[in-house]
Amino acid sequence: MSLSRLFRTPEAAAGLVILGLLVAMAVAAPWLFPRDPLAIAGQPLLPPFQDWALPLGTDRLGRDVVAGLFHGARTSLAVGLAAAAASILVGSIVGTVAGFAGGLVDEVLMRITDAFQTVPGFLLSLALVSVVGPSLSVVVAAIALSAWTGPTRIARAEVLSIRERDYVASARVIGMHPVEIAFREVLPNALPPVLALSSVIVAAAILTEAALSFLGLGDPNRVTWGGMIAEGRAVLRSAPYLSVIPGIALVLSVLGVYLAGEGVVEGTAAREGQA
Amino acid sequence: MAGFEISRRKVLAGSAFLLASTALPSIGWSQARKGGRLVVAADSEPRNLNPAIVASNGVFFVSSKVVEPLAEASFDGEDGLEPRLATSWEGSADGLSVTFKLREGVTWHDGQPFSSADVAFSALNVWKPLQNLGRVVFKNLEAVETPDAKTAVFKFSKPTPLQLIKNALPALTSVVPKHVYDGKDIAENPANNAPIGTGPFKFAEHKAGEYYRLERYDKYWGEGEPQLDEIIYRVLPDRAAAAGALEAEEIQLAAFSAVPLADLERISKVPGIKVITEGYEALTYQLVVEINHRRKELADLKVRQAIAHAIDKDFVVKTIFLGYAKPATGIVPQNDKQFYTPDVATYGFDVAKANALLDEAGYPKKDDGKRFALKLLPAPYFNETRQFGDYLRQALAAVGIDAEIVNNDSAAHQKAVYTEHAFDIAIAPPVFRGDPAISTTILVQSGIPDGVPFSNQGGYKNDELDALIAKAAETLDPAARIELYKQFQKKVAADLPLINVAEWGFITVARDTVKNVSNNPRWAVSNWADTYVET
Amino acid sequence: MNRAWGLLKRRLIGSIPVLLIVVVGSFLLLEAAPGDAVDAYVASVGGDAGMIEALRTSWGLDASPMTRLAAYLWALLHLDLGHSVAFSRPVLDVVLERLPNTLLLMGAATALSFALGTTLGILAGARPGSARDRLLSIGSLALYAVPGFWLALVLTIVFSVELRWLPLSGMETIASGKTGIARMLDIARHMVLPVTSLGLIYLALYLRMMRAGMAEVWRMDFTLAARARGIPRRRIVLAHVARNALLPLVTMLSLQSAQMLGGSVVIESVFSVPGLGRLAQEAVGSRDTPLLIGIILVSAFLVIVINLLVDIAYAVLDPRVGASEVKA
Repeated sequence: MSLSRLFRTPEAAAGLVILGLLVAMAVAAPWLFPRDPLAIAGQPLLPPFQDWALPLGTDRLGRDVVAGLFHGARTSLAVGLAAAAASILVGSIVGTVAGFAGGLVDEVLMRITDAFQTVPGFLLSLALVSVVGPSLSVVVAAIALSAWTGPTRIARAEVLSIRERDYVASARVIGMHPVEIAFREVLPNALPPVLALSSVIVAAAILTEAALSFLGLGDPNRVTWGGMIAEGRAVLRSAPYLSVIPGIALVLSVLGVYLAGEGVVEGTAAREGQA
Repeated sequence: MAGFEISRRKVLAGSAFLLASTALPSIGWSQARKGGRLVVAADSEPRNLNPAIVASNGVFFVSSKVVEPLAEASFDGEDGLEPRLATSWEGSADGLSVTFKLREGVTWHDGQPFSSADVAFSALNVWKPLQNLGRVVFKNLEAVETPDAKTAVFKFSKPTPLQLIKNALPALTSVVPKHVYDGKDIAENPANNAPIGTGPFKFAEHKAGEYYRLERYDKYWGEGEPQLDEIIYRVLPDRAAAAGALEAEEIQLAAFSAVPLADLERISKVPGIKVITEGYEALTYQLVVEINHRRKELADLKVRQAIAHAIDKDFVVKTIFLGYAKPATGIVPQNDKQFYTPDVATYGFDVAKANALLDEAGYPKKDDGKRFALKLLPAPYFNETRQFGDYLRQALAAVGIDAEIVNNDSAAHQKAVYTEHAFDIAIAPPVFRGDPAISTTILVQSGIPDGVPFSNQGGYKNDELDALIAKAAETLDPAARIELYKQFQKKVAADLPLINVAEWGFITVARDTVKNVSNNPRWAVSNWADTYVET
Repeated sequence: MNRAWGLLKRRLIGSIPVLLIVVVGSFLLLEAAPGDAVDAYVASVGGDAGMIEALRTSWGLDASPMTRLAAYLWALLHLDLGHSVAFSRPVLDVVLERLPNTLLLMGAATALSFALGTTLGILAGARPGSARDRLLSIGSLALYAVPGFWLALVLTIVFSVELRWLPLSGMETIASGKTGIARMLDIARHMVLPVTSLGLIYLALYLRMMRAGMAEVWRMDFTLAARARGIPRRRIVLAHVARNALLPLVTMLSLQSAQMLGGSVVIESVFSVPGLGRLAQEAVGSRDTPLLIGIILVSAFLVIVINLLVDIAYAVLDPRVGASEVKA
């Protein structure tokens, strides 16, 4: 797919640019700011643009806001990608098995999916994190736990339509093992619409992590934008920059991920439409 | 004199309405105005509101207006006390009995008269067997004799210092009505959630998640008291909410630092709002690093000394507490007038010394600059304990100790630290309650069963210290007892079973129409009988 | 109506396996948690080992997890949701007390985001690719990207603290003695900010779905035919395009209902609204297993009812679907 197609709309282009910046920040963080971003770097509550060593100022403990922003990009992106990868992986496997096996297996798996969809996702994440204790991997697991049902349903629907197609039938005829058929022939073809969900999941995961941090359930050993906003909230009136700066970064990233994802999906759809 | 004032108050009370509507300048006698509704912020809703069972500040904050103790703390009273349900107390020379004279003309909110039988019942059936703190202080209480309705004589099986009993009066002796509790399951009595007491305010209603409402008790024994008609505790679970609510005049008072320290400077400049630092002198909270001595590195005194040297207490006070705290020198806080001694080993902020001590102890820095790793569990109860956790991780990193923070909610923290001992270092906010024997010696004493919060669960055992604690508990002479506690402070500072970092009182923020705020050292948890709202 | 009742019963019975999974799952989750209800209580009040033992016995937490799960399920079979340890009251009472607040908040927020979302979606979709379309799409997405708590905090500072137009928190004025219409107006005033904060977040969803749906319908034959016949654009938009694009949004409503309950946790916490979301958070904090399961069951029941209502609405809007669903 050519780049020009991705840049079809200004929104998609903007999304991709933001996403690119986000990735660049995440990659550059340990190189530009080799110190622990949680280390105390200067006088506390230094406003932005006062000291060029600390261009965006410092927080309540004197930690560098810029370093936090860069390292936060890393964690936010990591949380988003890991949660999306986990939920798509689980979702596509469960969906494929359910759709391909059918019968009782399908029934049981879909009932479990139903159960998860009946429970408010955020409530589930909240319960899991408060119970297991907040660390980055638990937060990712908690988000994935409430996000895997979407991919499951889509994968299953795709599999149901694919499994009756000719190439699947011919694979059966040549005696391929059903598991092999499911994961080699069916799943790869069912995957694209599932992957289209990934930008939505990444965006939602970044927001969920922020909301968990707001409720005091973020990983205390890592900088996250959600955690920065939550900490800045106590001084929202006297030092608004502490929550506004990471807030803007968060909004832009979610927007960027969403728009870029949409651009890719639309670009793909347009190509398929032409083909 | 007093009588005259009261009659004048009564006369004026009738015209209070008039006075209120004409904006008279606020001169002395305009204080006589009664009435008003005070709305305050509450951040939690305790499951049990009975202060005789749960002697904790969260419970007192609401229930101390309803249920009264024998005496309250006071800035200028004798022994720092002001009589409440007891008017006098006297100990016998052998330390085996204490005689309380009780107040006349006191009635319960349900109309029954208050008598010595209620005190005897509360002491023997509630404080001693059920109360979190009373179990320690009243453990040798054998009987309470009631020669008449207004005299209660406490009999102890072992000599018990009157000094300790006096210091325990404000927090440990809330009296509950015998006729409501007797013969029923005390722990599950409905009155635990709708307390009945003798205090200036009656418990009116609790709407879970919204508010508590207390109403004026017309037959209160205090002349002309209470001044307020109503107190409402508005439940605001989000800690950032109280400041806005004060500014929007939805509440008039926020105690226990419900307004975050970082917001105080700004809010103190808002017209009509005052920031008050007094009123918590007898409720000193201590910021403490708890140490698990089962870890071989931490069992080494040199390592503990190194950790103490790695902490910049002034930075903690200045940055985390924004100056609303003091650096601690030892296990008894400096604002305690009876027991505190500054004459103990101190550990100044000195990274080089900390590094040297760790090298000496045999834990050199490895190639990655780290010596060993620790699990750090900050208590979740206050913003400050968590922030200190963030700071401590950095301070330890500077001396090559790699601390990983584990944030738990309160149930998980309780279980991890106090029951399962699954921590290396923890951060706790214990309270000093006027006497080391009430809730301070258990921080270092050995032999405490698993599961007791704010106690020595770090596996520390020091026979000398244990002997000192036991001796002080039975020493009757106040001066000798104080001397023993001074030795106790020195030993703790020298051996560092835990590290005291800072001590703080909370901050009250109120509209300036609220009068008689913070006029005793336990104000937030006292009865507010003389508080009123100027209209 | 009878048919709807029959459908509800059938759905409820059909969802028993789902609810069972939910109950057992939540029970095991809290069981695996470090610390139980007694630890949570002791952490807040202090106490010693003897008291802890006594409490554990008196709250019935000394039995093995499996025994307690069996007892709980047995009680549930008799429609008894059990006893909340944190409130020492029956779970159903506690939940029903909070349910109306949450229903009001969620209902109003859903209505707001649906009504505003579809209207703006129609405006955006009427001329796909126009400046108006871009502005609305990006604007709503930006709202979606703002963390809910942050939006809520900023709204309170502007409208309650600075301008003092609206109350800052709570469901209604405390102990005001208001009744009838005065009380309803009072509650409505208190709900403006929470409903707006919650509603604006989900606005983007409906707006974008509506817009996308319309884009699809624009390409369909009958729309093209209508355009060819020279019917005014305005009429095409409203009578054909928007009407046909609306159907999938109704489905979205039911999917969203469960998610909004989660989102309301944070909003209820910021505005001190005593609702189910905050109650759930408290239940987790105090390790109140019966209460948490009770909340989840009630909200699951709610989701099932909403789904049913949506299906009925669907049947009304599109008779073909309804007939087959009711028959099936």
